[in-house]
Amino acid sequence: MRILIADDSALIRDGLAHVLPGHGFEVAGSVADLPALLAAVPATEPDVALIDIRMPPTFTDEGITGARTIRSRFPSVGVIVLSQHVDADYALTLLKDDPIRTGYLLKDRITDIRTLASAIDRVALGETVVDPELVNLLLGRPATRSRLDELTAREREIIALLAEGLTDRGIGERLWLTPKTVETHVRHILSKLGLAADSLHNRRVLAVLAYLREAGARPAQR
Amino acid sequence: MTQRSLAVVACAAVVAVLNTVDVARQARLGVADAETWVAGAAVYLALGVAVVIGRWPERRRTALLMLAWLLAGVVADAGLDWPDSRPAVTVWLLAAALQPSLYAHMVLSYPTGRVRDRSERGFLVVAYSVTLLWQLAPALFADFHCPGCSPHVPSLLFVGQVNLTVLGKVFSGLIIGLGLAFLVLVARRLRGSSPAARRTLLPLVLAAAFACAEFIVLRAASLSDWSQAFGVLNWIDLANLLVVPSAVLAGLMTIRRHRGPLGDLVIELRAARPDQIEPALARAVGDPSLELALWLPEEQRFVDCDGAPATVERDAPGRAVTLVGSEDEPVAAIVHDAGLVEQRALLEAAGSAASLAFQNARLQATLRAQLADLRASRARIVAAGDAERKRVERDLHDGAQQRLLAAGLALQLLAADRGNGELLAEAQAELQSALRELRELARGIHPAILTDGGLPAAVRSLVDRAPVPVTVDVPDGRYPEPVESAAYFVVSEALANVAKHAHARSAAVSVMRDNGRLVVQVRDDGRGGADDQSGTGLRGLSDRVGALNGDLTVSSAPGAGTTVRAEIPCGS
Repeated sequence: MRILIADDSALIRDGLAHVLPGHGFEVAGSVADLPALLAAVPATEPDVALIDIRMPPTFTDEGITGARTIRSRFPSVGVIVLSQHVDADYALTLLKDDPIRTGYLLKDRITDIRTLASAIDRVALGETVVDPELVNLLLGRPATRSRLDELTAREREIIALLAEGLTDRGIGERLWLTPKTVETHVRHILSKLGLAADSLHNRRVLAVLAYLREAGARPAQR
Repeated sequence: MTQRSLAVVACAAVVAVLNTVDVARQARLGVADAETWVAGAAVYLALGVAVVIGRWPERRRTALLMLAWLLAGVVADAGLDWPDSRPAVTVWLLAAALQPSLYAHMVLSYPTGRVRDRSERGFLVVAYSVTLLWQLAPALFADFHCPGCSPHVPSLLFVGQVNLTVLGKVFSGLIIGLGLAFLVLVARRLRGSSPAARRTLLPLVLAAAFACAEFIVLRAASLSDWSQAFGVLNWIDLANLLVVPSAVLAGLMTIRRHRGPLGDLVIELRAARPDQIEPALARAVGDPSLELALWLPEEQRFVDCDGAPATVERDAPGRAVTLVGSEDEPVAAIVHDAGLVEQRALLEAAGSAASLAFQNARLQATLRAQLADLRASRARIVAAGDAERKRVERDLHDGAQQRLLAAGLALQLLAADRGNGELLAEAQAELQSALRELRELARGIHPAILTDGGLPAAVRSLVDRAPVPVTVDVPDGRYPEPVESAAYFVVSEALANVAKHAHARSAAVSVMRDNGRLVVQVRDDGRGGADDQSGTGLRGLSDRVGALNGDLTVSSAPGAGTTVRAEIPCGS
């Protein structure tokens, strides 16, 4: 699989270029800023682009702009934004228009190559990937927890994985459940939370994320 | 009495003597009529006015011009008393020629006695030359011939009969042109004057406009041989002799009348706030364009009543400066319309009346200037602190974090090579927690999302981390960076207090824009009893908000929850 790296730090570019080939990836190219990234996509034809959120020229959120541009211009290319911010706003901005083949990961994940590799694989398959730490932040709030009181312990495990972007099959593999069982759980969860069942898993991810975010801002009804 | 005012009196005496001689002679000859007596009396009246205003230094030139005009008139009259004398007729001709120009000169230079610009000066040069040269020619060379008005008198240097009829018509045309030009100049003067100066000018200018119109009609009448008009016009001419001194006196009276408001000024200033002194002075002297500058002796500069630096230009066109206090150590400077220079005495009196108020205002202006400096420096300190926070946050991410990440990558390469799994996994876990701590540290110093997404996104991110449910009402919109930072840290600190002290079940954050101010409010339903003076957090917030000229209030009655409210000016 061909990977394009976009990061203004040479240390990171070189490090990734050394590490990725050991896990079955081919580094198609590496660039240091947004214009170079947009130029490199058609030139190198990567399967997935790994993009640092903060790059020249303004060092703010170029990564998100770049990722969304790539998704709209080259729909077959997957994008993963590597961010230092555990902030739902960045993730939702990245995902809101087109959650397919898109991931929002903390940059820390590059020191845990197996997690990174699995995220790349999933994005390449068309899935949506959301960093577990962000999901934990949203799930961890007391208000959210109390709103999820109705869910069983197993269902609460599953909703976290739903928010991370896993498919029914992915959840099944993670929790040693049959896809059929997972599907039943998911149906229950969505109906308990009052969310529409969406056959497209990417949209389901967005709906669950938005629900979790909203849940923390509403006082529990007691 | 100074030498100069003696000159005025002496001139007046000469004119008075000539006038008396003239009237007495006409009476003796039996040619004195009503006109003679009225004109004679009018001249005495005008002389009286000239002497009165001649005692006032700023009016002395006007008084002298007035005397010159009267002299020309009297000489012209007296000249006709000796119709058979060649020199007498010549002098009469010259005096009659000069009289209208002197009149124009007096009006245009009123009330200072000086004309003010090149067009006025140019007009006078042309007027004097035309009238003088034109009369000089017949006086010296031509045979004077005025049908029906006097016997035939040969000119001073008679060289032969010259027919002046055609030239006379051209001359009359020229004179009418000059008369019209004079009207234009007078109208221009009036329009360009401040209301105060206009009050002084108006009576004489009206009289002059009237006289000039009469003058033009007279010339037009002579052009068209409409001689029956002369009788009436002579009376009008005479009326002018009465109008001029009255107009000059009336102009003086308006100035005197404006000394009345001085008393009011003193009373008004006793209770005046510094910002009321300037309008009070402007009203007292009748110049709405008046500006006041206070002198700060320690700083050797002028400031306005708000303490902002002010410049006092002495040579600005149309403006003049009157200093209150001594030249070296002024209390204040009054910058006013140049037309008020004639009322310097009034200005100075008003200035000294206001002197105490000035001192008072000066103290306040100094205080305000210092306060403004202080506020500016406080804002600079906060801004510098924010910039520094931003820099540190970026350095943490771009420096330390990248190196840790690179080290993590290197560890993984090592793991692949050596396969010493357990130790490496431990190192990796350490690294992960170092990265997490670094991330939270950087966020606490300055949240990148505030710069990237603005206040709404940054507040939502705070709320995502709050321990109790928080309702959020933050409209989209960006504000100046210091305002966003202050608002963010208010919400951040207030929510942190909710977590630590409030025992609240829920909280609400609202941000709204109200009348140029950003109102940030964080309310909880906890036990209350918070004190904004205790704890460095709220004190720091109060300083931060205060540096932007905003207010921070904490209301926290025991049992009633806590409300932190910040109002921060945010421009338009």
